[in-house]
Amino acid sequence: MAAWVAQNVIPHEAAVRAWLARSRVTREDIDELIQDAYCRLAMLDAVEHISRPDAYFFSIVRNLLVRRLKRARVVPIEALAEIEAYSIDDSPSPERQAAARLDFQRVMGLIAGLPERCREMVMLRKIEGLSQRDIAARLGVTEAVVEKQVWQGIRAVQAAWRDGDTAAAARLDALDVETGWRR
Amino acid sequence: MAAVSGLSIEEQAARWVARMDAGELPEVEEEALQAWLADDPRRHGALLHAQAAWMALDPALAVPAMQDDTPSRVPRRRVLAYGGAAIAASLAAGIFLFDGAKHYATDVGEIRRVPLADGSIATINTASNVEIRLARTRREVRIESGEAWFQVAKDRARPFIVAAGRVRVQAVGTAFSVRRRDNGAEILVTEGVVEAWADGADGHRVRLTAGTGAFIADNAAIAKKPEAPSSVDRTLAWRSGKIDLAGDRLDAAAAEFNRYNHRQLVIADPALGAEQIDGIFRTDDPEGFALAVQSSFGVPVDISDPGVIRIGHVPR
Repeated sequence: MAAWVAQNVIPHEAAVRAWLARSRVTREDIDELIQDAYCRLAMLDAVEHISRPDAYFFSIVRNLLVRRLKRARVVPIEALAEIEAYSIDDSPSPERQAAARLDFQRVMGLIAGLPERCREMVMLRKIEGLSQRDIAARLGVTEAVVEKQVWQGIRAVQAAWRDGDTAAAARLDALDVETGWRR
Repeated sequence: MAAVSGLSIEEQAARWVARMDAGELPEVEEEALQAWLADDPRRHGALLHAQAAWMALDPALAVPAMQDDTPSRVPRRRVLAYGGAAIAASLAAGIFLFDGAKHYATDVGEIRRVPLADGSIATINTASNVEIRLARTRREVRIESGEAWFQVAKDRARPFIVAAGRVRVQAVGTAFSVRRRDNGAEILVTEGVVEAWADGADGHRVRLTAGTGAFIADNAAIAKKPEAPSSVDRTLAWRSGKIDLAGDRLDAAAAEFNRYNHRQLVIADPALGAEQIDGIFRTDDPEGFALAVQSSFGVPVDISDPGVIRIGHVPR
């Protein structure tokens, strides 16, 4: 489930947040709606039947928003109808699909965007495949230090997805040089 | 993990994920996690989000960039979703025993990471067929073709045994790869110790430690290969979608790319095959490799054919 979410939902989170912001939802409420939507996903027993995870996630968020607005009863009926009628386009452009895909470059971009100490440990963990314990031994730090950096790595990725990873994209050019021809 | 108050739900969830990444949770902490989750339904969502964020940093999970988007990705999603569901189930139940074999097949160029219900992870390389059965007394993997790397969760009561043809490799808690060849299997150990043998020759076993490897033939002949740890890492670069070459022969490098791509590299000039090459490439970029060869050896490269890339002059 977490892998499915990483590949198919999280890449669309920024777009859904942007849509909510356009619908004049406050930042605080956006955070709450998104949190509720992930909670709905966590309750699913299976995800095989979901053919368009982005549209699925979007409709969860939209339904939660509509419910909240109805309860609040401060929104004009037309605005509500507009939100209810809004749906994600059925066939996103290849550019949009590519932008929302968790591909190799994007993963490496996320890693490259981490703070230095955190990046070092994440690379040892994810690319070299060392355990947290081995990393601690190799770098001569306690296991708690490694665990803390893993924690910060997770938080950094969450922040990157939340704010849209434009910054990460900008770093890709620099990364290309590293992964290319050596010597 | 006691004092977590004062942190937001997201921060707490991320701490749990970091904690779980360190190894299996002791029973006390497993109970604390369940209690934390039970306290507030939103925490399930936060935990899922944090798990997904941590997984997003895994190159092996990345969707190959050049891949066609539609039909071929469907089974891949299924299997990943399945593995994920197993994790979620094992999280909920604490322990999750699982019977019945699961079959995993990867396409050419596809690398798939499969989290298993016991906490182990199988990373399956290109064009491979692997069957995994987690039974009550033993964990069995059969590599019908191809290669896989295993990160084995410790469980002394249930040995983890990989079969590749007649070759057997057994681990308790360690990480190693097995690649099936026509007449045997290649084993590389990245962590801990494994024992390996050929079926029917159980008395003739070899113990392999981290950083070493061996080739075991179907006729039970064992060729131990003391590898430098760096060379083990290079050989397993495929786990992050790369081919890492350091003084490798050009023909061997081309054969390596051909494992991952339908578009085959052909070295037209046999003399060129013995040249040595260095570099780190993406497994799905044979063209990039060919162009690198072109610029370093000054030989012509023909990329006009979508099915084949020809390197070097055709000898007369």
